[in-house]
Amino acid sequence: MVTQASVLQQLAAIAGPEHAGPPQAEEYAVDGLPPSAVVRPGSYEQAAEVLRYANSERLAVIPRGAGTLMALGNVPRAYDIALCLSRLDEIVEHEPADLTVTCQAGISLGRLREHLAAAGQMAPLDPTLPAQATAGGVLAANAYGPYRLAYGTARDFTIGMRVATADGRITRAGGRVVKNVAGYDLCKLYIGSLGTLGVILEATFKVRPRPREEGELAFALPGAADACGVAAEAERRGLSVAAAQVLNPAAAQALGLSAGAAIVLVLNLAGTPAAVARSAREIAALAAERGGRAATSPPQAGAQHPPEADPPPAGAGAPTGDSRAVVGWLSVLPSRVPEAMAAIEASAADARTSAYPTAGVLRVRCTTGDGGETLRRLREAAREAGGRLVIESCAPALKRDLDVFGDPPAAFELMRRVKQQFDPNGILSPGRYVGRL
Amino acid sequence: MARRNLIRELQSACGKKWVLHAPEDLLVYEYDGTIERGMPEAVVLPDSAEQVAAAVRIARRHGVAVTARGAGTGLSGGAIPCDGGVVIATPRLNRILELDPENRRAVVEPGVVNLDISVAAAAYGLYYAPDPSSQKACTIGGNVAENAGGPHCLRYGATTNHILGLEIVTADGEIVQAGGETGEAPGYDLTGVLVGSEGTLAIITKAVVRLLPRPESIITLLAIFDEVNQASRAVSAIIAAGIVPAALEMMDKYTMQAVEAAVHAGYPPDAGAVLLIEVEGLAEETAEESRAVQEVCRDLGARELRIGLSPEDRERLWAGRKGALGALGRLAPSYYILDGVVPRTRLPAVLDGVYAACERYGFRVANVFHAGDGNLHPNVLFDERVPGATERVLDLGGEIMRLCVDAGGSITGEHGVGYEKRNYMSWIFSEDDMEVMARLKAAFGAEERLNPGKVFPTSKGCGEVSSRMRAAIARAGPDAYI
Repeated sequence: MVTQASVLQQLAAIAGPEHAGPPQAEEYAVDGLPPSAVVRPGSYEQAAEVLRYANSERLAVIPRGAGTLMALGNVPRAYDIALCLSRLDEIVEHEPADLTVTCQAGISLGRLREHLAAAGQMAPLDPTLPAQATAGGVLAANAYGPYRLAYGTARDFTIGMRVATADGRITRAGGRVVKNVAGYDLCKLYIGSLGTLGVILEATFKVRPRPREEGELAFALPGAADACGVAAEAERRGLSVAAAQVLNPAAAQALGLSAGAAIVLVLNLAGTPAAVARSAREIAALAAERGGRAATSPPQAGAQHPPEADPPPAGAGAPTGDSRAVVGWLSVLPSRVPEAMAAIEASAADARTSAYPTAGVLRVRCTTGDGGETLRRLREAAREAGGRLVIESCAPALKRDLDVFGDPPAAFELMRRVKQQFDPNGILSPGRYVGRL
Repeated sequence: MARRNLIRELQSACGKKWVLHAPEDLLVYEYDGTIERGMPEAVVLPDSAEQVAAAVRIARRHGVAVTARGAGTGLSGGAIPCDGGVVIATPRLNRILELDPENRRAVVEPGVVNLDISVAAAAYGLYYAPDPSSQKACTIGGNVAENAGGPHCLRYGATTNHILGLEIVTADGEIVQAGGETGEAPGYDLTGVLVGSEGTLAIITKAVVRLLPRPESIITLLAIFDEVNQASRAVSAIIAAGIVPAALEMMDKYTMQAVEAAVHAGYPPDAGAVLLIEVEGLAEETAEESRAVQEVCRDLGARELRIGLSPEDRERLWAGRKGALGALGRLAPSYYILDGVVPRTRLPAVLDGVYAACERYGFRVANVFHAGDGNLHPNVLFDERVPGATERVLDLGGEIMRLCVDAGGSITGEHGVGYEKRNYMSWIFSEDDMEVMARLKAAFGAEERLNPGKVFPTSKGCGEVSSRMRAAIARAGPDAYI
């Protein structure tokens, strides 16, 4: 039996006594479960050593960055060590003319953004709480926001990684060049794997020039189908739309875009000044054809990109004070977004829903005063719209009785075998993933 | 006897007519775009995923390997049955099952030709973006297996960025859906790791592909430079100016001379290099970007700029690039196509190194490549009838790959590791890195049962000609592509 004292002693020996210790507060708890110890390695080698130790003693490790996305996942089966990557926060390499950047996993997106902005560039990661969230955490959770419309998600622009395996080896996936098909593309596997296959230590991203002109448009429209129609037509014409969100009245109101009972379409534009100006004109006309009216002022030059205060539109993934709050997302075919929005509203009267229309992703925030009943109805609504509700955050008590990822996907048996191969002792975030892997 | 039973079982699963086993029928399945060869015991042409699964199970019972094959245009030996066994070819799995313009996706079988998707989607103003130069012949199954690229990768990414989901047959002969019902699904991104796995993890039986709206405006520019160095500096300068064109291609002197002789593209005989640059988007954007690109090229000494606005003019500017590889056949009886990647900023230095290495070995080299991505394609010209020439060309190829790796690059940008480059894998990946990849293979239960001898280092040779190490020396001719 390994005692807490011996764990602490070992971790202190690896990372130094000032970087290892018992958890001081509830800060490191996951779903109410606190770890026995917290360690903050100062190097890749130290991080790997922690894993080697944990693997040999069968101690459960949950990696974390800033903790903004820790609410995602099932209740852990065990939790011995919080592996904090916050000290690994350097830019490793940035050659602007190569349009690539390599950074350590613990760097905040805020700092990464600042660094790239100085070179007139950006890495288009836009999760909620973008200033604090870390690169590694965002990759592990595959968190994204509405800018996926123009820039894709992390899987589209992550070209390389360094990852510590469950048995404590530092390995490389991908590379640092923008085009590379050597070996299996393991980056894809680690993105969204929620710390269950390895611990991301470093990532290389393709970056892009910041747009010269940006703007934001918002329209109140009679229905979700109208809003989705405007967004789809704008994309079909190739207009300079970087992000699109369709908000139900409750979500619009929460963002201060009060428009009565109307649906609000928020579009962020990015491109050359002439293209942005023309796009704004054409979109306004498209909205007008569908009975829309402007819900805010026309585009302003020099808007933040992506906006610093990225709306926690329908759902911030971060833990909230309200134990009744539920945040989730579902993915449906884009053509079924209006139907899915209606079904959600019918299942949870106070739901704030924000849809990324052309991606077919909807984010929902609501409260449950009735135990799991609202969740059950929401899941049913998602299923009817051809999707699956993933719960990003809810009270641990509710979580214990369900799989937050929903029914296991068709390829679950293969996923189980992948987990078995990558983490045979089951020490990495045990029980947190799809099907409680 | 064992072979006869294997053939009989395959016939009963897929129909007698669709199993090839006579030596003269097997000949064409021995090779792909490389001239590496491996003779299969049988070739089966299934008509459904169920038949693919049945063939895989039969091969498994007989303890023979399975290699999937599309059009056989690959450039790394990916479709060569190194261990013999059964080749599953996909010409009959060539249906576009669903075209959904509203959701901008199509569900296709693996034998569908790349370009045919865009042709079918054109009625809706949509197209399939990845455009390997072989797109009139190559199939989606092969594209997915190799994570195929093409000139327009620069802006739109490679195959992996356009595949939403897959249906696969595993090495155990099971049909599995990996994603694709909607855009996002919980669980490990199996689709993401299957793309580019070179047929070693599973056989693809369906792909859900993303379709994009056609851009409103496309402008093609051709910039002619005296020196190759000017052209490669222009590449960096265009990117540094904040412009990411849809395509940014370079051809050097030898390529131009060959092209000129073959398709009369009107290149000056004494020019050192040309850049072919395409910008796409709204008319306002392309006008502005094309002006900026012209300015950069002129500043860096471009002696002539040609602009194509109409589809016909643009086609004319592309003709030289598209006909380049076929034209090289005029310069030498054989050429060896290389595929390496370097960071864009290292392009001028690495190109110098490539020329110097070729000179040292006494071979001429024609470079035609995706400069904007830093994806080099040096084509080493030689005569394989000259004793020892093939070996020396392969050594030179290794040296050029080394140059790419030392510059922080990769041993393949779009052709795949396949058979040819598996022994270079250890230059960019450690034992541990590759051990993790092997775990993924173990998770798929693939071991060496699917496309054996590919991707990972081994001392084992391929088929009967392995001792001659002739991998990836392309047959020169009009049906060759990069």
